[in-house]
Amino acid sequence: MNTIQDLFSGFMSFLRGMKITGANLGRDKTTVLYPYEKADVAPRYRGLFVLPFNEANGRLNCTGCTLCIQACPTNVITLTKLGAGKHGGIQDFQMDLGRCMFCNLCVEACPFEAIEMTTQFELASTDRNVCVFPLTSLAQGGAAAAEKNYNTISTALAAEAAEKAAKAAAAGESGGHGAAHAPKEGA
Amino acid sequence: MVNTATTEQRHTVEVNLGPQHPSTHGVLRLLVELDGEIIVSCRPVIGYLHRGLEKMFEKRSYKQTIPFTDRMDYCASLNGNLAICQAIERLGGLQAPERAQYIRVLLCELNRIASHLVFLATYATDIGATTVFLYAFREREKCLDLMECMTGARLTYNYVRPGGIPQDLPDGFENGLNCFLDDLLKALEENDRLLTGNRIFRGRLEGVGVVSPEMAAAYGASGPVARGSGLNYDVRKTAPYEVYDRLEFDVPVYHTGDCMARYLVRIEEMRQSARIIRQCLKDMPAGEIMCKMPKIFKPPIGQAFSRTESPRGELSFYMVSDGTPNPARVHGRTPSFVHLGMLPAMLPGVKIADVIAILGSLDTVLGEVDR
Ligand code: SF4
Ligand code: SF4
Repeated sequence: MNTIQDLFSGFMSFLRGMKITGANLGRDKTTVLYPYEKADVAPRYRGLFVLPFNEANGRLNCTGCTLCIQACPTNVITLTKLGAGKHGGIQDFQMDLGRCMFCNLCVEACPFEAIEMTTQFELASTDRNVCVFPLTSLAQGGAAAAEKNYNTISTALAAEAAEKAAKAAAAGESGGHGAAHAPKEGA
Repeated sequence: MVNTATTEQRHTVEVNLGPQHPSTHGVLRLLVELDGEIIVSCRPVIGYLHRGLEKMFEKRSYKQTIPFTDRMDYCASLNGNLAICQAIERLGGLQAPERAQYIRVLLCELNRIASHLVFLATYATDIGATTVFLYAFREREKCLDLMECMTGARLTYNYVRPGGIPQDLPDGFENGLNCFLDDLLKALEENDRLLTGNRIFRGRLEGVGVVSPEMAAAYGASGPVARGSGLNYDVRKTAPYEVYDRLEFDVPVYHTGDCMARYLVRIEEMRQSARIIRQCLKDMPAGEIMCKMPKIFKPPIGQAFSRTESPRGELSFYMVSDGTPNPARVHGRTPSFVHLGMLPAMLPGVKIADVIAILGSLDTVLGEVDR
């Protein structure tokens, strides 16, 4: 008797399950056929980095202050500075994304909004070297932007240097006179 | 099968379960000694995923430790973030603004739902109900989409900071969240009919892997494992953190102590989480989300301890500061590690087919065991 009851209740619970499965058959599908279709990615998604190009100034925002490097837990970023002070910038900016956790700490650390994350997530590769992104692929606008950045900054630096030299020369002349005269007058 | 050993009376066989085994949910190796179908002894072998996180914490600044906690309990990484940030906050005497606290609780509960849905999906598959896997992951997908909207990542959120949270809720988040909660409750109700009431499922779980309350207490079990054994212990109630003391929710406790009880606790917890999230949305004040932080954070010499209720149990961090920008010592008390330690006591005498049911019901995450 018990066996029959068992069989019956087992069969009923099987039927109940099949009913739910059947009801789900009519539901909209929730999957997409990647890579032919792509699901939407949230705007905040933390994907590949970009160094925004500032059209108004004709250069990248990055000043080479290295705050992002200090914030990064896994030493992803290496950079080569270009100049210093007011016109300070970067000559190269390399990110080894093979080490990156996409944790957003570097972006938060940057005081100049010079590094941002995009929604691009297809970064897989079969070669480690492909994971190292140079400035030419990180800069917004690619190699052209990197070159423009370099030109703008080096021009500005050259101008600054020339201005300084001129000032120093002027100061040197007047100062030189003063220095040359002082002992004479004293003597 | 590795070898056969002859004892005085009979032959026992040692079998490796894992490290590459889909039902161990990670790289766990169980060395079980079998007498026919019955388990004589069991030895969990861990360490395949050891990354030395506690040492790595010592070499990094306080803020830099947070993304590593994502990689401990990767099913519920926000709880890890919160636990370590609370320890840091206690060291530095920081206090997150109220709005940030509400958002933290909201996200942690959302993460708890996501984590329990993974449990539901994988556990049902372990037992043989593959359909549930698809349905639970369908719901989890919506949950992860919400988390992605909010934090920018799907699994490793890194979203809590000492002193607050980095970004406020995005536009349209509340609507999405309410829709998801409605869907979730419907799906849970459907799951009750599909799985919880299923004869075979119940037959596989009821009376299997019984943990007595004494044993649970002796081993330091927490979370659903303790609550399935009749211990009414939930850090959110016993030592409320963030704004949990202002929220109304029940702690489900079942007294049978078997796999079914642990399963039921988790299912009910999802409903309670939904309740908490709704309250958070309603009560959340406007305002700041981040408190004032010094540029270089150097907490005074001292130590701090934080306790949180992660989906797996009590997750704690102990942190020592020596006044430098890096912590001097960090230790994580992870529930999965503790629960795994119960296996050698739970398994002897059960049939090999029940091992997966018992292991799955502990819901261990190996990233947290090995850390
Ligand atoms: S996202 Fe994190 S790991 Fe990656 S470069 Fe930035 S700070 Fe470093
Ligand atoms: S990206 Fe930002 S933080 Fe990093 S060096 Fe450039 S300006 Fe500094």
